[in-house]
Amino acid sequence: MSESTAVAAKGATRRNGAKGSNGAGGGRSARSLIKLLLVAALLVVLLALPLYVPEFWLRTGFAVFGAIVGAIGLNLLVGTTGQLSLAHAFFLAVGAVSYVFVSGEPGGLGVADLDGLSFPPIVGMIVGVLLAGLAGLIFSPIAARLRGIYLGVASLALVFIGIHVLNAWTSVTGGFNGRTAPEFSLFGFTFGNRDPELYVIGVPFREAERLWYLGLVLALAAYLFARNILRSRPGRALQTLRDSEVAAAVMGVNVQGYKARIFLVSSMYAGLSGVMYALSIGSIAPESFGLELSILYLAMIVLGGLGSVNGAVLGAIFVSALPLVFQRYADIIPFVGGQGGGGLAAGEAARFLFGAAIILVILFEPAGLAGIANRITGRGRARARPGGGASTPPPSTDTSTTSTSPSPSDRPAQGSTT
Amino acid sequence: MTQFLSLLLNGVSLGALYALIALGFVIIFKASEVVSFTHGSLLLLGAYTIARASDSIGFFPAVLVGLAVTALAAVLVERLIINRLRGAAVISLAIVTIGVDIIILTEMIRRIGSDILNVPHPWGGGSFRLGDVGISQNRLVAIAVAAVLIGLFFAAFKYSNWGIAMRASAEDGETAALMGIKQGQVSALAWVVAGILAAVAALFLVGSPTPGVTPAAYAVGLRAFPAAILGGLDSTGGALVGGLLIGIAEALAAGYQDQLLFLGRGFSAVVPFIVMIAVLMFRPSGLFGTKELTRV
Amino acid sequence: MTAGSPVEADVRPDIPPVEVDNVSVRFGAIKALSGVSFTVQPGTIHAVIGPNGAGKSTMFNVLSGVYKAAEGQVRFGDHRLDQMRPYKIAGIGVARAFQNIALSAGQTVAENLMLGRHHLTKAGFLAAGLRLPRATREGKVHGARVAEIAEFLELGNKLHTPVGVLSYGDQKRVEVARALCTEPRLLLLDEPVAGMNAEETHRMAEAILEIRSALGISVVLVEHDMGMVMSLADRVTVLDFGRRIADGTPAEVQADPEVIRAYLGSGDEIDPAAAAAHSSDTPGTHS
Repeated sequence: MSESTAVAAKGATRRNGAKGSNGAGGGRSARSLIKLLLVAALLVVLLALPLYVPEFWLRTGFAVFGAIVGAIGLNLLVGTTGQLSLAHAFFLAVGAVSYVFVSGEPGGLGVADLDGLSFPPIVGMIVGVLLAGLAGLIFSPIAARLRGIYLGVASLALVFIGIHVLNAWTSVTGGFNGRTAPEFSLFGFTFGNRDPELYVIGVPFREAERLWYLGLVLALAAYLFARNILRSRPGRALQTLRDSEVAAAVMGVNVQGYKARIFLVSSMYAGLSGVMYALSIGSIAPESFGLELSILYLAMIVLGGLGSVNGAVLGAIFVSALPLVFQRYADIIPFVGGQGGGGLAAGEAARFLFGAAIILVILFEPAGLAGIANRITGRGRARARPGGGASTPPPSTDTSTTSTSPSPSDRPAQGSTT
Repeated sequence: MTQFLSLLLNGVSLGALYALIALGFVIIFKASEVVSFTHGSLLLLGAYTIARASDSIGFFPAVLVGLAVTALAAVLVERLIINRLRGAAVISLAIVTIGVDIIILTEMIRRIGSDILNVPHPWGGGSFRLGDVGISQNRLVAIAVAAVLIGLFFAAFKYSNWGIAMRASAEDGETAALMGIKQGQVSALAWVVAGILAAVAALFLVGSPTPGVTPAAYAVGLRAFPAAILGGLDSTGGALVGGLLIGIAEALAAGYQDQLLFLGRGFSAVVPFIVMIAVLMFRPSGLFGTKELTRV
Repeated sequence: MTAGSPVEADVRPDIPPVEVDNVSVRFGAIKALSGVSFTVQPGTIHAVIGPNGAGKSTMFNVLSGVYKAAEGQVRFGDHRLDQMRPYKIAGIGVARAFQNIALSAGQTVAENLMLGRHHLTKAGFLAAGLRLPRATREGKVHGARVAEIAEFLELGNKLHTPVGVLSYGDQKRVEVARALCTEPRLLLLDEPVAGMNAEETHRMAEAILEIRSALGISVVLVEHDMGMVMSLADRVTVLDFGRRIADGTPAEVQADPEVIRAYLGSGDEIDPAAAAAHSSDTPGTHS
């Protein structure tokens, strides 16, 4: 008899009535149908939005898509794997700079002499992702050996070194003044206002509309890739090593190898996000890629929900949209004033709110917005906080003393097996 | 040679200040298992309070107020937030301190704006020369004060009830609790001490040769993080060595910046981080940090 | 068949003995293990017992590569376990169930068990992220085997439950199931029944015997429950203060005066002689 059938046969005899798995299964399929419809509806709305929404919101939308890509990448590293990183801004910078350098034109702008390779923008985008990955790869031997918390501080180094290089390496980055980002194009189709002129049911499709779709596609790809990772072999390994490195290693996971690889993946996400950032702003400047940007990304994933891809999306939307909302509705929102109006400036108000929200989320809702959303939709799966391996109650010695179950007649003594 | 000696002296002074901040960082880690990213903004808070208060009540009372405010802010963070999160993942604790940091820093930047607040140090902005070796008087006083404080700290850490309680609970929290050590008190006191040390460092860091209190003091505070890490997060001795190492390295890089110009202007500000990376590459737990027992 | 001696035909041919040879482990000035030697014969259940602090868990950590031995060797066939990192040790078929549960509380039972298949599967970031057919196929095939093993440990109807909400006894079983999912040749069980009630203990003991007889693998057991050790184990190694003080069959060890002295002298509540007598009435006692 083969081992598997032996074990299986034994299991079948031991099985105690599966309780209500059928009912649960039926409920699950109905719920998944509703979910499918909702997703389809959401997709239709996202696709149709450029027909109805003014340019400002479409541009904001593209920026948010970029932030979503970056936040998903950071969440894979911090939320899923438990490796705190404040270096995300650095990898965004690598992506953004690579793009403007590889696809930019050489030339002089003001005081600076700029180099540029004039490659097609798609090449710049790919190189941006790859170089960010390479930068991650170079740092990953350190990242892999450090405990999560040491990495948090060590990664500060990359941000400061990055800013310094951005400021100093003028011919590539444009130095202190930054440089403009070339328009994106794909096989002759530009994501600008012309070339070709485009109308869809009477609505002119210009740069904002076109970028919206580009952002949607990229963010969707980033989203699906991360979801798939989390639901399969590498994702399980990462989550386990977050909860216990020793347990993961003993179960056969090459802990250092995985820490290095997730650092690489995360930095590639950041690279793509950086390229999108450059496209969204239309230019890059060193000061944009400081510690503050890293912290904003951290705020996104904490508020959204550590370790959750949906959470990263929600957090990215919330954090990028909030300052804009404050700006736009400054008159209505209490305590927020316009320029010199005595109240808080929109950016300040948003930062106060992020700070407070981070504290409140960690204190009261470690699963973040995703956790709240799950509770509303009734998918209350008890997700533990990162490092939640410790959240299981310690073995209470009570279980043995208080249990009054009668001694079974066939004790595990000699020859009791068949 | 004299230039080198001058730089060395300045480096020691800067390093002593970094060591003060790093010591606070380390004792917070030992007492509450928290890596406090609030330290940069606490430093700024201390400097700001001293500068503002000296206008009305004079320098020395203002220093006391500054120390008190910073210590109070630190202990509030511990009592209101960290204390409620005992047993949470280290990374969550670190992130929560970032949340606090955002709030304090935003408020500080809002209040300071583009001003440069002046702290009227009674020792003035002059410099002290011994032959050709020179150092600002502010930094000279800093060395003396830091040396005294560091000495006091190590004595207290070794002999006082608090120090013993703290080392015991860092060693084995459960046993220490059974022995009647109240971890909450140990932890709160650690934050108070860390707040005071940061404020003292701030007092000198915003004096000559630095022009005054600006939001840039925050970045100076951040450069003490590498000091704590490269010494080893759980080693007080490491914080001292790390602080001095980083201070000297930064001062030398600043002094020889003309020779280092090919690395870009302002290179000295990133030297602490480069030193840290170099050390971590070979010793992932820092110079004196406890090594992991387990191999993965 | 009796539990005392494995039937030769049941032992898988590819299972070498485990030879622990003069192993010492130091933590700073403290010597946690000094010069410990014993051999686990293929297909046997080998218990490592001793009072608290005797070095049992340290021994397990050496066997699974988590601690480095300062001296000595651990051989498993041609492999030197003392020189390998834990994940490589897992790769050659050494699995371990942890005493203090080291599962991912937020993941389901199935996800935790699938981790056991890690070294048997290949899908990397790219294959998994793009859902390449081979990754999907691999997941299905191994998912089926995981479901079988879950059934065997009575977890079949809990596959999609997050581990964090399971009872303590269930979590202990998931630990053992996860180790089994690696298809081990050597199974290390660290106090598999600690904290379990009598009923659960009994079922676990049955399962361990079943594992040995169905799979023909070696099992090393650290356990406090003397009744269980004496009834399950083919051979027992007794540690005290990091030294081996006895090694033999359960009967030999029980009669060993030094073992009795170690247990009585340590003030530990478990007295092997008494526990063995006790075990004829109840399935086991608990520490």
